[in-house]
Amino acid sequence: MNTNYLPSGFLPIVVQFVLALGFIVVTMIVTHNIGPSRKGKVKDDPFECGIEVVGDARTPISVKYFLVAILFVLFDVEVIFMYPWAVNFKKLGMFGFVEMVLFMSLLLAGFYYIIRKGVLKWEE
Amino acid sequence: MYPIILLSFLGIVVLFLGFAKSKAILLPATLLFLAVALVGNFVEWNQGTIIYFYNMLAVNNLTLAFNGIVLVSAFMIVAMTRGFQDDDEAQPAEYYAIMLFSLVGAFMMIGFENLIMLFLGLEILSVAMYVLTGSDKRNLRSNEAALKYFLMGAFATGILLFGIALLYGATGSFTLTGIQAYIGQGNPSYLLYGGLLLVLIGMLFKVSAAPFHFWTPDVYEGAPTIFTAFMATIVKTAGFAALFRLLSHSFTGIYDYWWITLAVITVLTLLVGNIIAVYQDSFKRMLAYSSISHAGYLLIALTAMTPQTENSILFYSMAYSVATICAFGVLIPLAREKAMTGKPRETYEAFNGLARNNPLLAFVLTVSMLSLAGIPLTAGFWGKFFVFGSAAERGIIWLLVVAILMSAVGIYYYFRVIMAAYMKEGDTAEIRVAPFYKIVLVTATIITLLFGIAPGLFTGLV
Repeated sequence: MNTNYLPSGFLPIVVQFVLALGFIVVTMIVTHNIGPSRKGKVKDDPFECGIEVVGDARTPISVKYFLVAILFVLFDVEVIFMYPWAVNFKKLGMFGFVEMVLFMSLLLAGFYYIIRKGVLKWEE
Repeated sequence: MYPIILLSFLGIVVLFLGFAKSKAILLPATLLFLAVALVGNFVEWNQGTIIYFYNMLAVNNLTLAFNGIVLVSAFMIVAMTRGFQDDDEAQPAEYYAIMLFSLVGAFMMIGFENLIMLFLGLEILSVAMYVLTGSDKRNLRSNEAALKYFLMGAFATGILLFGIALLYGATGSFTLTGIQAYIGQGNPSYLLYGGLLLVLIGMLFKVSAAPFHFWTPDVYEGAPTIFTAFMATIVKTAGFAALFRLLSHSFTGIYDYWWITLAVITVLTLLVGNIIAVYQDSFKRMLAYSSISHAGYLLIALTAMTPQTENSILFYSMAYSVATICAFGVLIPLAREKAMTGKPRETYEAFNGLARNNPLLAFVLTVSMLSLAGIPLTAGFWGKFFVFGSAAERGIIWLLVVAILMSAVGIYYYFRVIMAAYMKEGDTAEIRVAPFYKIVLVTATIITLLFGIAPGLFTGLV
């Protein structure tokens, strides 16, 4: 493996960075200039599917919503660990299996804890 | 290594014990688990350096001793929680489980051999602390403290991670030995210096050294006192153990580069901690600044980096932890009994007339303040003595002069509390203390006095 990295070797990254930035700047300028623009009070209103605006956008939302959302992220991300294990299942053999069972049982302990705590009960 | 596995598992057990009908089982169970972990810790005593998990963690007598300090401190603090009986909102099972999990992070930081492990340990410890800081959900100050700590801590973690990335970029290795070997080749890349600086900033934030200390007073004051004690002792001990490990195992080759940076930070920390502490009215806030100043004294030993440094940091951490636990331990029942309009009273006035109301508490407080001030016959004196000795050995006399001047300043604000307790008249409201609580405080006081009279008992161990 080549372990000598020269500053000039990073040139493609710089080029890509400049291209990415340039694309954003160019599209922003171009779309602002070529489209027709109409200004007015109604136009500046928040868009609510044509319905007139009602109330404040900053209404309190039940904390349960966030809790479920974050739990989803947690258990969803844990699944990522299953893929590399599944791909290397034969190679890792019994050791990998035991480790995975340990990992899953810890995860399920957490899941059981959530259920016992009543986080998933919506009625309360 | 055993306490890491034991406490990870037993923490989950505590979590599930919370579903039992009676909450009374939680406190004895947690204490039992901590005792089990303490025994498990010293199984590997005197077996030389053992490497675990493909060179991720190392265990030797020094890391075991640091683990021991952390575990004993945690044991005392948990014993003082009294099961959170007087608070209906409290979730004792969660608090105990989080404390046990956070200790796992502390052990990883103490014994890390790979920078990934340092990051992981730091995060486990910090995230647990953010939660515990905000555990008093009805208290606005507690919420504010948790949010502040979380936001600033997250930034510091980011800086640390960036530093680790730069170190990897320079050396191509995450391991302490790999970095040391790279520096040994001579002519290190500039990335290495930048990386070291960023890692130092991240770590110094966690141990609240100036100029990264701004979160400390607010967080220490806002957090429930028992968790403040946890933060002030365990996070600091683990943080300094990790800093020492990082600098001594990897970066001695470029000592000339970092010692002056660390020396300037040390002086700044000593000045900020001690001088601002003088102006505090709240005892709890004073202890927060005092914890900053003690970070400064510990940094002296790191700056000097002599062969004695490891022992002086170990002894100082022990002396500081025990004295701090005593100080917070006296504050908790006092602030509760003298509560005004539902809020605990934490000013100096709360201590007025303590000697007459409860001589035991007053004595415990006196010993702990004397130890923090570094008066002879307490462990704190020998802590300072060893730390200053290492600086003298390295010949950094100007640093020593600043440190001695600042510890003279420290005597003023530590003695203010003692004066309030013994010489001022106060109300005669009786201060009740549970017997078990008393045992913890008396034990801690005995430790302070014992190692103050015979420090060789401790230094001879490692």
